[in-house]
Amino acid sequence: MSGLGVVEMPSALPAACFLIPILAGFAVLAGGRLGFRWCQLVTMLASGAMALSALDMASQAWTGTILTTWGNELRVDALSALVVLIVSVVGVLASAYSIRYMEHAAAAEGPGPGTRAQRMPLFHALVLWFLGTMAWAAVTNNIIMLWAAVEATTLSSGLLVAFFWDRRALEAGYKYMMLLTVGITFALFGCVLVYAAAAATGGLTGHDALLISEVRGVAAAIPSGTALIAVSMLLIGFGTKAGLAPFHPWLPDAHAEAPTPVSVLLSGVMIKVALYALARTVSIFFPQIPAITVFAVGMGVFTMLLGVVLALVQEDLKRLLAYSSVSQMGYILAGVALGTYLGAYGGLFHLLNHALFKSLLFMCVGAVVYATGTRRIGELGGLAREMPVTSACFLVGALAIAGFPPFNGFMSKLTIYLALAQSGLWWAVAVAVFTSVLTMVALLRPAVRVFWAAPAAEVARAAPVREVPALMWGPMVVLAALCLLLGLAPELAYGLLHNAALLLGGAGG
Amino acid sequence: MNALPISEELVRTLSMTVVITSVLTVELRRLKLSAVAYVAQALLIVALLVSYARVNHALYWWAGTALVTKAVLIPWFLFRYIRRTQEMEVPPLVGFGPSVIVAAVLMTGFFRLTHSQVDLLAPSALAQAEVFRTNLAVASTVFVLGLYSLLTRRDAVKLVIALCLLENGVHLSLVSLAPGLPETALFGIASEVVVTVFILLYVIEGVYREFGTTDTFRLRELQR
Repeated sequence: MSGLGVVEMPSALPAACFLIPILAGFAVLAGGRLGFRWCQLVTMLASGAMALSALDMASQAWTGTILTTWGNELRVDALSALVVLIVSVVGVLASAYSIRYMEHAAAAEGPGPGTRAQRMPLFHALVLWFLGTMAWAAVTNNIIMLWAAVEATTLSSGLLVAFFWDRRALEAGYKYMMLLTVGITFALFGCVLVYAAAAATGGLTGHDALLISEVRGVAAAIPSGTALIAVSMLLIGFGTKAGLAPFHPWLPDAHAEAPTPVSVLLSGVMIKVALYALARTVSIFFPQIPAITVFAVGMGVFTMLLGVVLALVQEDLKRLLAYSSVSQMGYILAGVALGTYLGAYGGLFHLLNHALFKSLLFMCVGAVVYATGTRRIGELGGLAREMPVTSACFLVGALAIAGFPPFNGFMSKLTIYLALAQSGLWWAVAVAVFTSVLTMVALLRPAVRVFWAAPAAEVARAAPVREVPALMWGPMVVLAALCLLLGLAPELAYGLLHNAALLLGGAGG
Repeated sequence: MNALPISEELVRTLSMTVVITSVLTVELRRLKLSAVAYVAQALLIVALLVSYARVNHALYWWAGTALVTKAVLIPWFLFRYIRRTQEMEVPPLVGFGPSVIVAAVLMTGFFRLTHSQVDLLAPSALAQAEVFRTNLAVASTVFVLGLYSLLTRRDAVKLVIALCLLENGVHLSLVSLAPGLPETALFGIASEVVVTVFILLYVIEGVYREFGTTDTFRLRELQR
């Protein structure tokens, strides 16, 4: 159980980090009549408390401590702590960002049940539940509950995607719910099969066969035919949720049509949680079926290339970012799926980095929408003068995602290239480097068009364009600073990533 | 492990009827009738669970959960939304005649395949023993019919019913694969399905108001 010489310690933190936002969601609904301020206050307090508990857990995981709750039902090792940290840090920044953004959105009228203002308590409650269920997925050690938590993230975010309730939002919301639910039903079959196979080995008694940490111990006794079926089911199920090609078509619709703070959470966090679920379950079988790794690396390479090619032809800024998320998920998968220490380290580092710069980029585009009312590249231009902070932040995000030094994306991509080369997969290195060049074109070209090129002549705006309020650019500046900091000093995340990579990549590798 | 107290004849009859109700659910064009076929299937599943429960008493809980979620709550939502949207299904991609043939081929072919290859799917001795073996074959057949329906239908409400079939298949497979599953896990799975169906139908009603149809092929706003 503690093969790496780690210390296990009972703690209430794993339970607190997901129960606080879930209970706070009910508090928001109960006090909905108290107005916007109540909803915003509770959301900020709950996501802040969640972030504090995540920081505490991360610092303990840094030293190799594993926190457990309710027996071994919840279990936070370095990998879980990393994911909870991403969920809560992006969560608290997105919550702060959403205050002014959603007030602005609520002032406009739109279709749907009640006015937008009347739906605001529901918005905040759903955001809190979304954060809570994502944290729950990261901390649970029970394979069926992992499935339940991942499905719960779909349920809590489905109505958020469709929040504006117009034709576009409804179409995106319907596709999102339908495709993800069908996909996730496959994952349920896979999870049940893992449990049944683990129970049938006879090495575990009753309830223990549900616990992922215990199943690892008996994985070698599971027949490889059964393991292969389970892995395929998990790959389809959690892969759909993670936006991996060819299961990605829901992603651009949902990530583009959701209100921007929700896009931040979907693209910045949720697809990572799904990839975490995939890595957590499939990695059980890495030692037994090495062929999985080659297949998954191939899938990752296909995803990164397809995503960026589709991103190149987008005219809508949010869709462009969404397709670029598909592409970046390919990098993460290619790294994590290698099954080596270096690959896992690079993949997880990129997972952390992508959460930072993709959240940043979505917030910047949200700021552009807030200020100008449009997100079509052709209708924008020359915004750098009026919006200096937003344009600088977007540039940082674009350079980071394209892998420019000294930003964080450079470090993690370099690690992934090295890991692929170390495993002898030179074709994958070539595609990954090529994709990185295309990513630069895909992101920097619209950045120049929107912020520095002369505006299209026929655009006449009703109101003068101004920089967004501090509550919106504040989170953006924080994220941009983190992108630079992790690029200059990547050792700041070393302890956490090192322990997490050991879990996925075997000892030393 | 001992399957003796179960009447194999009864289980086999119930199982075959479950498969037939799946085909009816897929093929009936009047959405209300399709939902009625779904209710019939739900009740049959409850009956199956009760008969298995004579071996494994925990399954009485499963039967109760299935009765409340599959035979009461989900049909209630379905009937409510069918009344508010349209009665007839938007014609599917495959015409009635060919569709029945495809469904029949899928049904017999897949049933035989899974029944003979159960040991690949089910690693435990219990699942490979009879009645549980048949049950697993039925479960995967229902799953495949649901998948077929999802791929060829274009009516949003019908797709939700197909999703329920898919889920019924997984649910039935649990009896063979994971009879020791704690009630809390089972309750979690069942209640999430109910919430999923509710939210999906809620969004579909919005789609119907805005687009004037539940034809998913007409949802093309985002491709421009």
